[in-house]
Amino acid sequence: MSLIAERPEAGPARDYHFPAVVRRPVAGGEVVAAHLPGHRLAVAVLILPAGAGREPVGAPGVATVLAKALEEGTLRRDSAAFALAVEGLGTEVVTALDWDSFQASVQVPAERLLPAVELLAEAVRTPRLDPADVARVRDDEANGLRMDWANPGPRADAALRADLFGTQLRIGRPLHGSPASVAALSVDEVIAFHRQWFGRPGTLVVVGDLDRLDLDALGAAAFAGATEGGPLLEGPLEITLHGGRRILLVDRPGSVQSTLRLGHPAPPRTHPDYVPMVLAATVLGGAFTSRLNHLIREVRGYTYGIRSDFGLSRRFGRFLVSSAVQTAVTAPALVDAVGEIERTRTDGVTEPELAVARSWRAGGLSVELQSPRAIAGALTTLVVYGLPDDYHAQLRQQLLTAGEEEVSAAAARHLRPEALTLVIEGDAAAIRQELTDTGLGEVIDSGELS
Amino acid sequence: MGMSETGYPWPIETTRLDNGLRVVVSEDRTAPVVAVNLWYDVGSRHEPPGQTGFAHLFEHLMFEGSVNVAKTEHMRLVQGAGGSLNATTNPDRTNYFETMPAEHLATALWLEADRMGGLVPALTQETLDNQREVVKNERRQRYDNVPYGDAWLRLLPLLYPPGHPYHHATIGSMEDLNAAGLATFQDFHSTYYAPNNAVLTVVGDTDAAEVFALAQRYFGALAPRLDIPPAPDGRQVAGTGVPARETVTGEVPAARIYLAHRTHPFGTRGYDVVTVLATILGSGRGSRLYQRLADGARLAQPDLVGAYGVDLAHAPAPLIVTATTRPGVDAARLEAAMAEVVDEIATGGVTAAELERAHALLTTAWWRQLATVDGRADTLGRYATQFGDPARAGDRLPSWLSVSADEIAAVAAEVLAPADRVTLTYLPEVAQ
Repeated sequence: MSLIAERPEAGPARDYHFPAVVRRPVAGGEVVAAHLPGHRLAVAVLILPAGAGREPVGAPGVATVLAKALEEGTLRRDSAAFALAVEGLGTEVVTALDWDSFQASVQVPAERLLPAVELLAEAVRTPRLDPADVARVRDDEANGLRMDWANPGPRADAALRADLFGTQLRIGRPLHGSPASVAALSVDEVIAFHRQWFGRPGTLVVVGDLDRLDLDALGAAAFAGATEGGPLLEGPLEITLHGGRRILLVDRPGSVQSTLRLGHPAPPRTHPDYVPMVLAATVLGGAFTSRLNHLIREVRGYTYGIRSDFGLSRRFGRFLVSSAVQTAVTAPALVDAVGEIERTRTDGVTEPELAVARSWRAGGLSVELQSPRAIAGALTTLVVYGLPDDYHAQLRQQLLTAGEEEVSAAAARHLRPEALTLVIEGDAAAIRQELTDTGLGEVIDSGELS
Repeated sequence: MGMSETGYPWPIETTRLDNGLRVVVSEDRTAPVVAVNLWYDVGSRHEPPGQTGFAHLFEHLMFEGSVNVAKTEHMRLVQGAGGSLNATTNPDRTNYFETMPAEHLATALWLEADRMGGLVPALTQETLDNQREVVKNERRQRYDNVPYGDAWLRLLPLLYPPGHPYHHATIGSMEDLNAAGLATFQDFHSTYYAPNNAVLTVVGDTDAAEVFALAQRYFGALAPRLDIPPAPDGRQVAGTGVPARETVTGEVPAARIYLAHRTHPFGTRGYDVVTVLATILGSGRGSRLYQRLADGARLAQPDLVGAYGVDLAHAPAPLIVTATTRPGVDAARLEAAMAEVVDEIATGGVTAAELERAHALLTTAWWRQLATVDGRADTLGRYATQFGDPARAGDRLPSWLSVSADEIAAVAAEVLAPADRVTLTYLPEVAQ
């Protein structure tokens, strides 16, 4: 065998430079751009402050239905003509929705970016929204959600969200609504959401070889006809943690696995502990060698994978552990997972674990941020969370310099194992008794959610 | 770009070590990262009866330590250096890859060499038992516990006869996985994980001289294996002349239909034509299937209409067409409409506008795949492994762009005949 036992030394670290951020006011909106020379493709993302968090509490899913309805034709052309125009350029208009923003993007060879953005704007600013089309899209979307909810996961996610935030808040309902909430939407609600939010100019992110792109023309195309809206409500939401732990059981008869969703509320994205929180969650359940994955996958063999993270939005956050485990080991897997969360909260992290988390997260910035699409995603983060242009450079330093004490303190402050809601979606008849026997909390059968 | 321009405009340098390891380097200094990618020319097509799922389970074992790398250390060293990593197994091959900050290139190559040359002594029964359970959970999570999750598992035996290397799915059967013994895996490694059965590709912030020297240092003394048994030859699959059909009634939320055909192997002109054809048929809202079944007749759910080729190189690769019924639509009606759309390609051809749309979509898809160093490394590794020359990667896009409407009509008539069609239908259980 002639293997080299001696481990290689790392070479000198090479600098990573996030491309300079170019900001330019155009036609009442702002273009935020980055120069990525040598790439054939360019990306544009129109970001509007029209996330699901702005939906009326009683209309979950209205932005999702609107996003789909945008492609059912514009004032200028019908849906087939629009599809052929966009796809003839080699792209599609990809829409995305999160709690804080609505995004529509195109990715094409650079010389085709302007016509692609013109089509994107045509769909976003001047959709036809014929009532019959909107009604059909709504029904299709409700049906699509019904299909999706036949998979393990969405029902558990919905049960967790409702329990953490309460259904009197919009964020207590699923991001895209539920099959029932979408089916109940009226056409007028969809059209009203467009009128209220899609006339704002928003921000256009552009990434590519800027020597071949005209930012003024791109901005003019994206912001044509937009008008400024009123001030936006942005403060953190008031959310109370539960006084005790509980187990919510979502029945999935005959399921060969149990889906685990363990969570509790957390601070919003702007919290000063953001970096140590990310690192604490990485040690607990982010990296492959994390505590959760090591114990529950690599030692026990209970699962294909388990992970934890803090998912943070402008106005709220949540801590989440998710996994799917074999039915027969549901209870021991749950006990192990809660145990690791408790241990991390109580004992903090160790320097060897933190060293991996730091390097992985910091290195991930240069490993991930290569393509126009990835850089556009990074710029979108700046826009949505109002972060400074040197954010990515600073983030790297903050990740690399975070100390064991600081990260352990964040774990102690922001992990709340005693307030966890433990949602288990699985074969209730097979697992109910053993879940009760864990003593982790009262077992409550989760009713069907609407 | 012009039609004849290459699809791979970066430099490519290659060498072959004395032990047969092929090394491919593509320098790109724009970001301080390197992608390392190893293609081993072994996949589930090499598995004999009773050993289905072994190539993939073996892939898991490659992360569990080797002579100089302790259990769990592989992941820690890569992620702890700031890298990302993974591996995949398919019927054709197994690939292992990591993207690292460039200063850790040597660490990545050292790790790969250690598990290429030194896995067997570190492999324990405990590790095998643990990863067997992980893989069984992977099967439950991805195939058994989701509606329609086993469609691919059912399509393969309908498309390929018993004994054909693509007859069984890569994930394998629970029965075979349970029977897997340690000695079999030790033998599997000794047989297939040899330097002359692999291609090492490095793309990014480095150059050929550095990579060739590091490859020589870490891999150079590994012994080749000269008698690697080939997989069964599957390139000729006799058409039965009789359509194959399977209907599954189960816990699915709506009826879904898959139409599948054996076409041509990936890498051939015929398969390039099929790729363009599949794009015309089923990619995007402007595609024939969407326009006719989702938009036009409103028989199919709009987000669940599609057609795609599966890029397999060692036998006629499948083209799969799928659609799911809208509420109130009969499955037989949707199937008939799908078949009509497919048959029309063979009988009526395609328009210039459809061809142009497909060319534009494929152009974007190609450059998106090559936008990252890891995407480039995987592409070069594929062409070096399957076609003997990484530079042939540059031919794919120009070939797609030169596909004509006449060729599509001819290939459609050849491979989409109803007599050679596989139809898999899922029906929901009737409510009590």
